Amino acid sequence: MNPLLYVEDLSVSFDGFKALDLGSFEVEQGELRVVIGPNGAGKSTLMDLICGKTKSTTGRIVMDGKDLTTMTEKQIVDHGVGRKFQNPNVFGSLSVYDNLALAHKARKGVFASLFNCYGTDAKNSIDGILERIGLQDAQTRIAEYLSHGQKQWLEIGMVLAQKPRLLLIDEPAAGMSDEETERTGELLTSLQGDHTIIVIEHDMGFVRQIAKTVSVLVEGKLLTEGPMEEVQNDKRVIECYLGSDFEEEGAA
Amino acid sequence: MSAHNLTHDTSQRTRAIIWACLFCFLLIGMPALNLAGIVSDSMLSQWGRYCCFAIAALGVDLVWGYTGMLSLCQAFFFCLGGYAMGMHLILMTGSEGAYGSALPDFMVWNQVTELPFFWKPFYHPALAIILGLTVPAVFAGIFGYLVFRSRVRGVYFAIITQALALAMWLTFNRNEMMLGGTNGLTDFKEIFGFRLSGDPEVVAATGRWLYLATVVILGGAYMLCRKLVNGKMGKVMIAIRDSEHRLRFTGYPIVNYKVFAFVVAATLAGLGGMLYVPQMGIITPSKMSVSASIELIVLVAVGGRSSLLGAVIGALLVKACYSEMTSRIPEAWPFFLGGAFIVIVLFLPNGLVGLLSRQKKGESPA
Amino acid sequence: MSAKVQLFLCILTLAGFLSVPGTRAAGGLPDTVWEQLASEDDHQILAAIGVLINNHDDGVYRLLIGLYESRLYIYEERSEQSGLVIGGESETNDDGDEMIPLESAYPNAVLLTDDAGAPLRIDSFDLIPVETNREIRAAIEAYRMRLDLTHQDPAVRIQASESLARSGKLSVLPILREAGQIDKNQEVRRAIELAILRLQLQSKDSLDRFMAAEGLQEHNAIDLLPAIAVRLNPESEQYEQDQRVRERMKEASISLGNWRRIADISQMAFFGLSLGSVLILMALGLAIIYGLLGVINMAHGEFMMLGAYTAYVVYLIFSRLPVEYAELSFWAAFPLAFCLAGLIGVLVEALIIRRLYDRPLESLLATWGLGLILIQGARVIFGDNVNRPAPDFLTGGLEILPGVVLAYNRLFIIALTVFMIVGMFVLLYRTNLGLRIRAVTQNRAMSACLGIRTRNIDRTAFFLGTGIAGVAGCALTLIGNIVPNMGQNYIVDSFLVVVAGGVGKLIGTVVAGLAIGLTSKIAEPVMGAVFAKVFLLGLIVLFLQVRPTGLFPAKGRHADQ
Repeated sequence: MNPLLYVEDLSVSFDGFKALDLGSFEVEQGELRVVIGPNGAGKSTLMDLICGKTKSTTGRIVMDGKDLTTMTEKQIVDHGVGRKFQNPNVFGSLSVYDNLALAHKARKGVFASLFNCYGTDAKNSIDGILERIGLQDAQTRIAEYLSHGQKQWLEIGMVLAQKPRLLLIDEPAAGMSDEETERTGELLTSLQGDHTIIVIEHDMGFVRQIAKTVSVLVEGKLLTEGPMEEVQNDKRVIECYLGSDFEEEGAA
Repeated sequence: MSAHNLTHDTSQRTRAIIWACLFCFLLIGMPALNLAGIVSDSMLSQWGRYCCFAIAALGVDLVWGYTGMLSLCQAFFFCLGGYAMGMHLILMTGSEGAYGSALPDFMVWNQVTELPFFWKPFYHPALAIILGLTVPAVFAGIFGYLVFRSRVRGVYFAIITQALALAMWLTFNRNEMMLGGTNGLTDFKEIFGFRLSGDPEVVAATGRWLYLATVVILGGAYMLCRKLVNGKMGKVMIAIRDSEHRLRFTGYPIVNYKVFAFVVAATLAGLGGMLYVPQMGIITPSKMSVSASIELIVLVAVGGRSSLLGAVIGALLVKACYSEMTSRIPEAWPFFLGGAFIVIVLFLPNGLVGLLSRQKKGESPA
Repeated sequence: MSAKVQLFLCILTLAGFLSVPGTRAAGGLPDTVWEQLASEDDHQILAAIGVLINNHDDGVYRLLIGLYESRLYIYEERSEQSGLVIGGESETNDDGDEMIPLESAYPNAVLLTDDAGAPLRIDSFDLIPVETNREIRAAIEAYRMRLDLTHQDPAVRIQASESLARSGKLSVLPILREAGQIDKNQEVRRAIELAILRLQLQSKDSLDRFMAAEGLQEHNAIDLLPAIAVRLNPESEQYEQDQRVRERMKEASISLGNWRRIADISQMAFFGLSLGSVLILMALGLAIIYGLLGVINMAHGEFMMLGAYTAYVVYLIFSRLPVEYAELSFWAAFPLAFCLAGLIGVLVEALIIRRLYDRPLESLLATWGLGLILIQGARVIFGDNVNRPAPDFLTGGLEILPGVVLAYNRLFIIALTVFMIVGMFVLLYRTNLGLRIRAVTQNRAMSACLGIRTRNIDRTAFFLGTGIAGVAGCALTLIGNIVPNMGQNYIVDSFLVVVAGGVGKLIGTVVAGLAIGLTSKIAEPVMGAVFAKVFLLGLIVLFLQVRPTGLFPAKGRHADQ
């Protein structure tokens, strides 16, 4: 099977510090890939590069035959990449429904917004997403007053509403209770197959719940890649996690 | 962050009622009181001018209240419209001026013998009106595009627009600009055939018509803005204010939306300025100074940002206070204005209209 | 108050300028001098002048000036010194007669009194004026010139030579040459040399003019470029007739023109540097507050104004003390302005700004309101325009090239700016406090986790930022008046410095400040101050197209969140 996304010699430096230096990295169509690694390993930077937030110093990111490094953020979104950020990032003064409706895949130009409210098929699709993220009863609530976990789900829902082919999900379980974490895991596993998903996570229990394939980034480089059990027992991975204070990783 | 429940039905209805009352009062009440002799002609014209500021304030509300961009050059756009109208009016003066020349008096004074080319289109009333709206719009479009494209936002945007206001104020003060320099444009005789000077009865009648036109246009502008903010456009604008970042990665062309809001606001400011000049009888560069722009912000801040009703109420209220206070204790006005800014920002982030909508308790700190 | 002091300073300089060194103790003059002066015979008077000049002292100077100005009279009632007296300012009495008060002629000015001890006033008709003619006046003038040219103050000597050159009298050439030979001061010698050349340029002798052109070129006397240009202008009456001289003048004029350009450019660079320094001084405070708190302090210019008024008040207080302390008041003002502005800044932070963190636009508006109140407050207290005179050691300037004078007050501001930048650098990069400030600037939450009291850091930053504004205000009193809205003049430009420089690095502020200062001063002569400002704004907007986050942006993952 062809990879949906592959990376060639990707690197980026900030003021001479090489934050990421990735020789090659591939994600298959319909795969759920979890990226783990200690703080500052370059996980979020990798996502920033894919979604166009940060520009690479060298290298290419190819998705469906198109090089993402030469595209603007909007073009990348239109090409089918959706991104959920590390800190929940929603439109605080709008209702849950409006948040999703804005994200819903539709023509998003100024004139489209001027003359029609939302796309015609929007309602059904949004109701579907509301159900999926468990916020049906909260759809008229103002997003600002949602709980932290609900905001995380809402943001995942917004990314889903964009109908992307590739979802980039940065620490979905951060700050969630165990129950919420488990529901998030279920949500993500239910998405794989239809969507290709890259997840960054620190919570090992959560990673074990959802991951088939895990990539380990350390100091901007790919340390190893493989099924969860294999990676878990990899000496280098253990060393790199146990060598540093594990508690600290969770705080980031 | 401030809390405003936009879907809160009761407050929505209260606002609609207040707006209807206010508009009826402006449209029917004031002229009736004027005809009854309770409100003097000059008072009526003063309120007409407040309405002009209210129109500009609607634009400020769109860019600042809804889209979250603090533009400190709205008074400049106001003046662009004002100057367009002023140029037309002064050309219509014809040879009635002090020097009896077809040229505006200040040009005769400056020994200009031929009308500069950019003055010529303003002979035609329709063209003058169109230019009064499009010049600010085009200016805002180009400037906005350049600024938004390079992602200048937040306080940087405020600073850049402030610098623009300063630069333009300095420019318009120059005599070389052929716009009357520091003295600006004044001594108008008639507008679209209605007399602005001469027989007091006739002038008062013109004033009444201008007042009515202003109120009607204010109503139109208000309805237009309401349509805008209640539709998807308004949601996108609020989304830009709440999280531009999120919206960008949701696939919206942020720059276009920002330019759109900025252009609409500039056009509204220009419209206000155009209506203001014939009622005021003069337009000078002092109306586009940096502080004039910030004073437009205070109109919205007092009334309530991200509420169109707030913008209108704030404009009428602050302007009325201003003329009351400057005629009684002029030294106190800066203290009052400065104090109002601090108090509103600290204690009434949603302005007076914000008092209407019951705020939800326990604002989440996140 | 300030007017009084200014007057006093004025009198001081004037007195220094006029005082003539007592080269000889005031001894007795031969009595014959008085008879000769009173003789009403021109030859006798001239002879007396010769004797007087040889016995030069302060009294002689006064006497001769009196004679020159036709104020020397013979008052027949008086017996001493042949009745010679010097008349003062005449007054018209009720009868319409001109009454003149009298002073003794020599050695000191003693007011003559009548028997009752009241000042003596004599009808001008009862006095016989000592008549002068051209010859006498020329002799006294030459005496005066020579006196000035040998004055102990070099500034007076330079001034004298310049005024001689302006007089256009070729007759003074010998005196100038003589003075030039004996003078030991290089600057004065140059001034005299130039005066000679300038006069020579008008000589009838074409060789003289040729030499003058050559000399002017040698001395790079760019001030005299117009004097040559007028001789090269065929329309002019003074058009140089001699072909060879003309050629030489052309050459000199080209060479001087080049020098002029160099001088202009260096002057422009200096003004740019000076403006840049002021902008940096202001922007330093703005940038540190913005970098840390994301707050643009619109009242920053008003904190500067507070500094300026502090300097003024300090000056007022010190002006009640003896003059020796005048200079001290200048130095004392800086720390006081720093502390006062800083403390008010901390107060403002505590009362307003800290309630508005995370709402930068609101704090911008609130601080604008605050600025409005401060301006009006200053206007109510101090009125519209006061002035603090610069201390003596900052008046005048340093001439680095002929025609390029670097004013000391501007040099001082540049030096102060350098001092503040270095101080800031040391504070930020070499101290523990600086480390904490930088840490909070980069990542507030993480810093708080590491035990840094971010509240204290914020307060400190506000103190520093507004304090520096106070110092800037203090410095600005050197180059302008103190007015309530003085902060507004520079504030928008210093905002632009922050925008163009980018936040997070000191160097950004410095480079952007200098760039904006220099650009304005380069553009100003070309397009005028107003359009230079418009041009500058356009430039910055275009610059932001290329570098949206300024010259030295903060980079990394957290940069734009």
